[in-house]
Amino acid sequence: MDLVYTPEQQAFRAEVRAWMEAHVPKEPLVTLECREGYDQHVAWERTLASGNWGMVTWPEAYGGRGLDLIQWLIFEEEYFRAGGPNRANQNGIFLLGPTIMEFGTEEQKARFLPPMARGEVIWAQAWSEPGAGSDMAAIQSKAVRDGDHYVITGQKTWSSRAAFADWGFGIFRTDPDSKRHKGLTFILFDLNSPGITRRPIRQLHGDTGFAELFFDEVRVPVENCLAGEGEGWNVAMATAGFERGLMLRSPGRFQATAKRLVDLYRAHEAEASPAAREAVLQAWMQTQAYAYNTYAVASKIMAGGKIGAEASLNKIFWSELDRMMHRTAMQILGAHAELKRFGNGQINQWLEGYIFSLSGPIYAGSNEVQRNIIAERLLGLPRVGAG
Amino acid sequence: MDFRFTDDQLTLAESVRDYLAGTHGPEVLRRLDAEGNRDPAIWQGLTEMGLTGLLVPEEHGGLGLGLVEAALIAAECGRACLAEPLVDTAFVAVPWLVRNGDLADLGAIAAGERQMPLPHVLNPWVADGEGSALESVDPLRNLVMFPAAGSADPYLLDLGALMSAAQLVGLADAMLHQAVEYAKIRTQFGQPVGAFQALKHQLASCAVAVEFAKPAVWRAAEALQDGGESASVHVSHAKVAASDAAVLTAETAIQVHGAMGYTYEVDLHFWMKRSWALNGAWGDRAWHLKRIDQAVIGGTMPIGPEHTFA
Repeated sequence: MDLVYTPEQQAFRAEVRAWMEAHVPKEPLVTLECREGYDQHVAWERTLASGNWGMVTWPEAYGGRGLDLIQWLIFEEEYFRAGGPNRANQNGIFLLGPTIMEFGTEEQKARFLPPMARGEVIWAQAWSEPGAGSDMAAIQSKAVRDGDHYVITGQKTWSSRAAFADWGFGIFRTDPDSKRHKGLTFILFDLNSPGITRRPIRQLHGDTGFAELFFDEVRVPVENCLAGEGEGWNVAMATAGFERGLMLRSPGRFQATAKRLVDLYRAHEAEASPAAREAVLQAWMQTQAYAYNTYAVASKIMAGGKIGAEASLNKIFWSELDRMMHRTAMQILGAHAELKRFGNGQINQWLEGYIFSLSGPIYAGSNEVQRNIIAERLLGLPRVGAG
Repeated sequence: MDFRFTDDQLTLAESVRDYLAGTHGPEVLRRLDAEGNRDPAIWQGLTEMGLTGLLVPEEHGGLGLGLVEAALIAAECGRACLAEPLVDTAFVAVPWLVRNGDLADLGAIAAGERQMPLPHVLNPWVADGEGSALESVDPLRNLVMFPAAGSADPYLLDLGALMSAAQLVGLADAMLHQAVEYAKIRTQFGQPVGAFQALKHQLASCAVAVEFAKPAVWRAAEALQDGGESASVHVSHAKVAASDAAVLTAETAIQVHGAMGYTYEVDLHFWMKRSWALNGAWGDRAWHLKRIDQAVIGGTMPIGPEHTFA
């Protein structure tokens, strides 16, 4: 165990810090979940790309920096220290990018990855359907082979970024006689294709971030299929693994929130409750614990290990921690918590953050599903109904 | 930067785990409980493993290892619910004596000839000391009233708190394992009760608490070994997180065992009671939270994303 950064790692931290201090917008961007905010966030993606800070963990050949995971953690710490905005490119960086690198052909890598890295093409995910949420194997949307095209018909929902994004990815049933996990294929599609209708869904906070997608005989070239027909479930599971695993939520984001929470508490110390005070201490402890665990997992992966069902522990921990911190902030704010803007005109970011934090235990596999995975795969308890 | 144990450390912990699993199972705890709590043969075995001299410098007949190794072994002692005063003597007293340059007893401790549970003013009583006896809820914990000559040294307190935290994560692991094994074999409504989500989700929540307490304990061990400025705060974090994980797991484990969990017959009670005892020892929850409070809200320690390790 060696918990000291090397001189190279310290120099790298200084390099990131200098760039972030010079480039991170001084004023918070408008929320990503509306047209104006989306455009601001995409512009920020292009600024990041201009400094080659967009996809730091990707290989240099695809527009990244080829950083190892410890460097990635340092990058993220500095990104959130500087107050860096949420990433419009999240789906590309952490979900589709690594999936294409693992399963894509050389042509697909060359075609899709560089524009993703440059922030020119923003990707939406399209997993869920009205009848296939936690139970993703219940997918019904069809892709029927017609010469060198698939013809897609069906409906996707809760498709994040889809209100404004350029391209989408998801799994579709290519074998009409198949059931459950079989006969599914992973397909990439241009969201502006004829036959696709996007209907933005108004979210809890009133803005639109995700959308329903309606496919009416949408023709997609077969070369947009990833890893071969019928392989969709395996590819999707790998993608979901990336999402739940190490990289979806880096510790820096939560440590920055904990620090802001401490500042908020100090400003309201006189009227805050003892329970809020202990919650603030828990925020520091738990964000630190999450960071240690992430460093431990990163060290293990760098030494050739793998992350498996432990990813479910992570997902539960950070999502419930994020909700707890924002709930605490709302309690500290008291009567002011309901205001969208404070008297001085400043946006109430704790309110926005609290509302967003409520989605954490639901998306990327609900925490109930995660608890089943832990119970069955890590603890070895019998599957439901196994009698 | 590498947050992993070395292969040597893992091998050492595994050998202690295997040794205790083979020689110190629940049947031994029940026998001790019935026959006077201590068995010189167990101490002899621990001495022969080199554990009494784990932190004793080599020139005094020990292995000369550090607090990270000691914390790993303390966790194994918790897992086995070891009642002998190994942790208090070898992992708390020894490094404190070494720090103070008080080397006279180290050889005897390494040779297993001396046990030295040290009193600290923050603990109202001492286990395995000399004095008038008190009865602990933990049937294997031999308590005596606090002797007048207790130290107030914060380093001794940090050592005791760190090693308690390490034992607590081991205890929690063991209780979780016992609950899971029981849930697999106890059948009701035609299926193992562990197939019900109501139990699965509670046990999964324990796994989350335990798995995120562990790295805080290892980080605290490393910090105390290095003697960094904020080491005490990390020890307090470890103690609070490990205590909370163990208490949650204890309450969940008894619930999973149902009425059987409320009996003296089921092994669980030994682990649960040790957890309660260590929860309050070497600085209770409120004491450690206060120390974290002074650092975090009081602002004596830098916090934020760039301060994970500094």
